[in-house]
Amino acid sequence: MSRIHVTTSVNGDEVDFLCEPDETLLDALRNRLGLTGSKEGCGTGDCGACSVTLDGRLVCSCLVLAAEAEGREIATIEGMAEGEALHPLQKKFIEHAALQCGVCTPGILVATKALLEKNPDPSETEVRYWLAGNLCRCTGYDKIIRAVMDAAAELRRA
Amino acid sequence: MYAFDYARPASLAEAIEAMKDEDAKALAGGQTLIPTLKQRLASPTTLVDLNGIAEIKGICLKDGMVAIGAGTRHAEVADSADVQRLIPALAHLAAHIGDPQVRNRGTLGGSLANNDPSACYPAAVLGLGATVHTSAGRAIAADDYFQGMFETALGEGELITSVDFPVPEKAAYMKFVQPASRFALTGVFVAKFLGAVRVAVTGASESGVFRWPEAEKALSANFSAGALDGVALGADGMIGDLHGTPEYRAHLAGVMARRAVTAAG
Amino acid sequence: MDAPDHAPPVRDGVHVPRRHDSAEKHVAGRAIYADDAPEPPGLLHGAFGLATIAHGRITALDLDPVRAAPGVVAVLSADDVPGENDTGPVARDEVFLAASEAAQSGDVHFHGQPLFLVAAESREAARRAARLAQVSYAEEPAVLSIAQAMEAGSRFGTPYRMARPDAEGRDAPQAIEGAPMRLSGRVEIGGQEHFYLEGQVAMALPGEDGDLHILSSNQHPSECQLIVAHLLGLSAHAVTVEVRRMGGGFGGKETQGNQTAAAAALIAHCTGRPAKLRLDRDDDIVTTGKRHDFVIDWEAGFDATGRIHGICVTQMARCGWSLDLSNAICDRAMFHADNCYYLPAVEIVSHRLRTNTVSNTAFRGFGGPQGMVGIERAMDEIAFALGLDPLAVRRANFYDPPDAGGGRSTTPYHMEVEDCVIAEIVDDLAARTGYEARRGEIRAANASSPVIKRGIALTPVKFGISFTTSFLNQAGALVHIYRDGSVMLNHGGTEMGQGLFIKVAQVAASELGLDLDRVKITATRTDKVPNTSATAASSGSDMNGMAVRDACAKLKARLRGFAARHWKVAEAEVEFLANRVRVGRKTIAWEALIEAAYLARVSLSATGFYATPKIHWDRDAARGRPFYYFAYGAAVTEAAIDTLTGESRILRVDILHDVGRSLNPAVDLGQIEGGFVQGTGWLTSEELWWDDTGRLRTHAPSTYKIPACSDRPRVLNMALWEKGMNRELTIRRSKAVGEPPLMLAISALHALSDAVAAAGDYRRYPGLEAPATPERILAAVERVRDG
Repeated sequence: MSRIHVTTSVNGDEVDFLCEPDETLLDALRNRLGLTGSKEGCGTGDCGACSVTLDGRLVCSCLVLAAEAEGREIATIEGMAEGEALHPLQKKFIEHAALQCGVCTPGILVATKALLEKNPDPSETEVRYWLAGNLCRCTGYDKIIRAVMDAAAELRRA
Repeated sequence: MYAFDYARPASLAEAIEAMKDEDAKALAGGQTLIPTLKQRLASPTTLVDLNGIAEIKGICLKDGMVAIGAGTRHAEVADSADVQRLIPALAHLAAHIGDPQVRNRGTLGGSLANNDPSACYPAAVLGLGATVHTSAGRAIAADDYFQGMFETALGEGELITSVDFPVPEKAAYMKFVQPASRFALTGVFVAKFLGAVRVAVTGASESGVFRWPEAEKALSANFSAGALDGVALGADGMIGDLHGTPEYRAHLAGVMARRAVTAAG
Repeated sequence: MDAPDHAPPVRDGVHVPRRHDSAEKHVAGRAIYADDAPEPPGLLHGAFGLATIAHGRITALDLDPVRAAPGVVAVLSADDVPGENDTGPVARDEVFLAASEAAQSGDVHFHGQPLFLVAAESREAARRAARLAQVSYAEEPAVLSIAQAMEAGSRFGTPYRMARPDAEGRDAPQAIEGAPMRLSGRVEIGGQEHFYLEGQVAMALPGEDGDLHILSSNQHPSECQLIVAHLLGLSAHAVTVEVRRMGGGFGGKETQGNQTAAAAALIAHCTGRPAKLRLDRDDDIVTTGKRHDFVIDWEAGFDATGRIHGICVTQMARCGWSLDLSNAICDRAMFHADNCYYLPAVEIVSHRLRTNTVSNTAFRGFGGPQGMVGIERAMDEIAFALGLDPLAVRRANFYDPPDAGGGRSTTPYHMEVEDCVIAEIVDDLAARTGYEARRGEIRAANASSPVIKRGIALTPVKFGISFTTSFLNQAGALVHIYRDGSVMLNHGGTEMGQGLFIKVAQVAASELGLDLDRVKITATRTDKVPNTSATAASSGSDMNGMAVRDACAKLKARLRGFAARHWKVAEAEVEFLANRVRVGRKTIAWEALIEAAYLARVSLSATGFYATPKIHWDRDAARGRPFYYFAYGAAVTEAAIDTLTGESRILRVDILHDVGRSLNPAVDLGQIEGGFVQGTGWLTSEELWWDDTGRLRTHAPSTYKIPACSDRPRVLNMALWEKGMNRELTIRRSKAVGEPPLMLAISALHALSDAVAAAGDYRRYPGLEAPATPERILAAVERVRDG
C-alpha cells in the first residue's frame, strides 16, 4: 500500500504532501497541513463539522479521500479571513453571538459562504435547508440564521 | 478502514481494466462507500476512483430521453435546466437527497450501483422505466436492474455508464424522510405516460425498490389521489427496524402515493 | 468594601452583552481544542476493545492477534493497571478495563464495555487492531429495560422515599382518597445522547518523576485528576489536568471524560510515551452514558378547579450497569416532581434500576427534566378530564408568590419556596403572546382542517440551583495582577461553549474596576486551583464568579490599605473608579497604583474561595434546603401535526425567562435558545434504540436525530424577564441559566399532545410518550380517533 504524492491548492496556496491511500482529506488537512479548523464531528458525513469546498463545491472532507484532492482547489475556514481582516460572515457570527462551543462554527461558515456564492439572496427557508447538513448542539440555530441573513444583506450592499 | 491501493483511471477503458481485479471496488461519490470502509464492512484491495473519467459525466438529450452520465452528481441533476424542464420530478428528487454536502459528491451511478433500499434514485429509475447502460455494453431495463436490497443486475466489475430517462407526461416524487439520515423512510415515485402509469416505492420493502401494480392499475384508470382509495399495501415484506414498523411504512406508502399524484397535478 | 451591586463603569463589565471570549478564534478556526493541540513526537494513539455481549463472563481471551497487528506498541488489560482498576466517580463500582489477560477472565456488564486498550503508532492502526481480539464469553441473561429491571428487582440500593403530609396531617394516599376526584396515569420518557460535537478526547504527556500532564475535554478536571492518580497508584500532585475548552459538554463530560483520560494516562504511564485517545463517534455513543430514561406512575386527588389535594408519584429510572451519578440524578428528579406546584400531601418514591446497558449519567437538568415531565403530564391530564384549559389548572396549583403567607410554599422536601415568581412570569407571557385568544383560534381552525392539526401549550419551569450534594457547592479562584497592571484570571470552572469564562472575566473586570481587555482568561488547571467541583448544576458562574469576587476583594483590600498608607489618607478616601483609583483628592491610574504597590512589596496575587450559604440537606429524613434559590421561566409553544404521517413541526415559540440581573444578556439568551432546542430534541426526535441483545443501534447521527437547522421553529421569540432580580446575594444578583431553559421544551410536548387531541375532537386524552416521534404521534392519533 504505497503512499500517494498529492499536489493541490489549499486556500490559494500550492501545497503537496504524501498520504496513505485510505487517508481522508480531513485527516490530511489536520495532521499533515496543520489546518485544525475543520473538525471531525462524526466521520460519516452527517454533521458537517469538516465542511470545506472542493473546486468551489461544499463537501464533507471526512468523506473525500486525500488522494482525490490531486489537482483540485480546496478552501477551508483558515482561508476565509483576508489576513487579520475577518470576512463579513465571520463578523456577523460574532456580532449575533451565533456560536457557543465553536466546533460546528467553521463548517457552518464554510457552508454559508458556499451558499451565498451560489445564491446571494437566499430566503430564510433556503438558508435553513442548506444548513441542514451542519449540526450544532449548543445553539438553537436561531442566531445562526439571523447572522447569515444579516451577512447576506450586507454582502449584497457591498 | 482496511488498507487498500488507490487507482485513478482517466478513461472508462482504464477503469474497466482496473476493475478486473476481483477485489477492486469502484469509488464514485464516496458518500456511502467511505463510511462503509471506515466501519470496516468492506475490504477492497484497490479502490478505483471513477471521478477522473469525463465520459461518464454530464446530461444530454437523446431520442427524446434525458441521458444522464453515471458520474453526474446529484446537485448537477438538480440544477440542470434540461432536467428541470423535461422531468421536474427528477430534478426535485435530486435536489432533496441528503444535504448539500452529499449532493455535491454523490452520483447517480453510485446510488444505483449500491441500491440502498432507502435511496431515492432507484424510485425514479424504476418509476420512469429508465434504462441503465453499462461498461459491458449492456442496456438494462429498470424492471430488470433492481434485484433486491443492495442487489442489482450488474456483473463483477461492471460499471454503470449512463441512464436514459423517458420523459413522462407528468410525475412526482414524495418521500417521508428518516429524519436523521434523510434517506427515504418511504418514498413513492409516480409517473404518468401516455396510456400507462408507473408507481415505484422505495424505503419500504425488504426487497428494495418495487413497483406497486394495484396503484398503477387504479391510477391508469383514473389519475387522481382519490383513485387510490381502497388501495393499500400490506405490511408483509416491509422493513421493520428502529426507524419504523412494517405497518408504518406500508401506511406511509399509501399517503406518499396519494400526495405524489396530487403533486404531479 | 464597595456595596455588592456597585460597579464602576468599565468597558465590558457585568450586565453587558459581551461576545464569547473565544468568538474571534471560533470563526477563524483557530481555537485549540484537545484534539487540535500540536502532537508531540512519538505520540501513541489508543483505542478500546469493546465487549460484544450485554452480560456474562469472559472465559477465554487471546490478545496476541491485536499485538501482532501493524503499528501496535502495547496492549493493556486489567493486569496492567498499577493502581485501582476503576473510574467510578462516587461508588467504586466502575471497572475501567474489564478483561484480565493473565486470569483469562472478566465480567461484562454491557454491550460496548471497554475490555482492553490498544496503543499504536496511529489512530487508525489502534482502531483496526482493537477488533482483532479473540474473546469467548459465557453469556448470562441481560436485564435491559425498566420493566425487566422492576420485574427482576434489579436496583441500586432500596427505593428512596420523600413524603410530606398535608396541614391536616393526612398522608398522600389519604388525601387522594378524600379528594373529590381522582386520576392516575403513567408517562414514559426516553433518554438522550449528549452528542457534543467534539467527542471524548484526552492527551497525556509524561513528565519528570512519572508525573503526567493531561489535556482533557472534561467538565470536572479535579475528579479526573484523582481518578487517574488512583488508577496509576500516584498521588494527586503527580497528575495535572488541563482543560482550555470543550466542544460542548451538557453533562456528558462531567464523569464520562474520565475514562478517555484514564486510557491516555495508562498508555503514557506504561510506555513512557505521550498518548492520545479520541473516541470515534460510534464508540463515543456506545461507551458513554446518557440521560436516564424514566417511567413515571402517578395518582392524584383533586377538586373541580383542578387543584391537587394529594399525589403519589413513582419514578423508575434506568441507571445502567454502574452507579455513576445516578443517586444524585434520581434525587433531583424527585426534587422536581413538584415543578411550580404546591402539593399539599405528597409521596414520591424513586427506583434506581440496575441494567445491562451503558451507565447513564449527567445531562443538562440532571433528572430534573424527567421529574418535571411527570407532574406536567398530571396537570395536563387533570385539565383534560375536567375540560379546563391546562393553564388554568397549572395556575390553580402554583406555589404562593413571595411573602404571600398563604401557606402554600412548602416543597415535598420541607424547603420553603421564598422566591416563587412564576405566576407573574406566566401572566406576563400569556398576555404578551395572546395565549388564550390563540388557543381558541387554533381550536376553531382545527375543526375545518382535516389533515393538519395544531396545538398550543404554556408550561412553567422552576429549577433548583445548587448541587444537592452539599459539599460540592464550593469554588476557588486565582487572580494575579502583574506589574504592568494586567490581570490573569483562573478559576475552577470549565468552558464548554456556555460563556462561563467571559462572564467570570466580566465579574473580575467590574470588581477590579478595569476594562475587560485588561483581564486575561486562562485554561482551567488542577495545579492552579485545586479541589474544584464539576462545572455542572448550572452553578459555574454563580460559584466561580463569587470565588473570583472574593480574590478581587482581597486584592482591593490590600491595595486600599497600601494607598491609604502611601498617600496618607483614610482608607475610606480610597475609591476604585474605572481604570483609576481616587486617593483623597488625587486620581491615580491603575497601572501607577500597581507599580507603586509592587515597589512597596504588596502581594499582587490572591486566591478566592466561595461556599454557597444557607444550604443543608438531611437525606435520611428527606428534608432540608438543598437549593440556594430557584430559577424560573415559561414558554408557549404552538405546533402542528400531519395526522396522516405523524410528522410534526414547531411553528412558534415564545419564552420569558428569569435570569435575575443577567451577567451577560447575549450569553444568557444563547443558553435559553440552545437549552430549549436541545429539550425539544429530547422530547420529539431523539430516540435511543437498543435491540433485544442489548446493543445500541442508534449510535451515529445517521440513526440518532438531533435537531437540525431545518427544524428550527419558524418563530422563536425569547426575552429575559425584565423584573428578574435574585433575592439571594448571588454574584451581581444574577441567576443560573445553564439547565433551566431545557425544561421550557416541555411546552412543545404538550403542544403536540394538544394537536393530537384535536384529531379526536378533544374527546380522548392522547397520552403521548416522549420522544414524540412521527410514528408515536400517528399511533396517538389513531388512539384518539378510535376512542
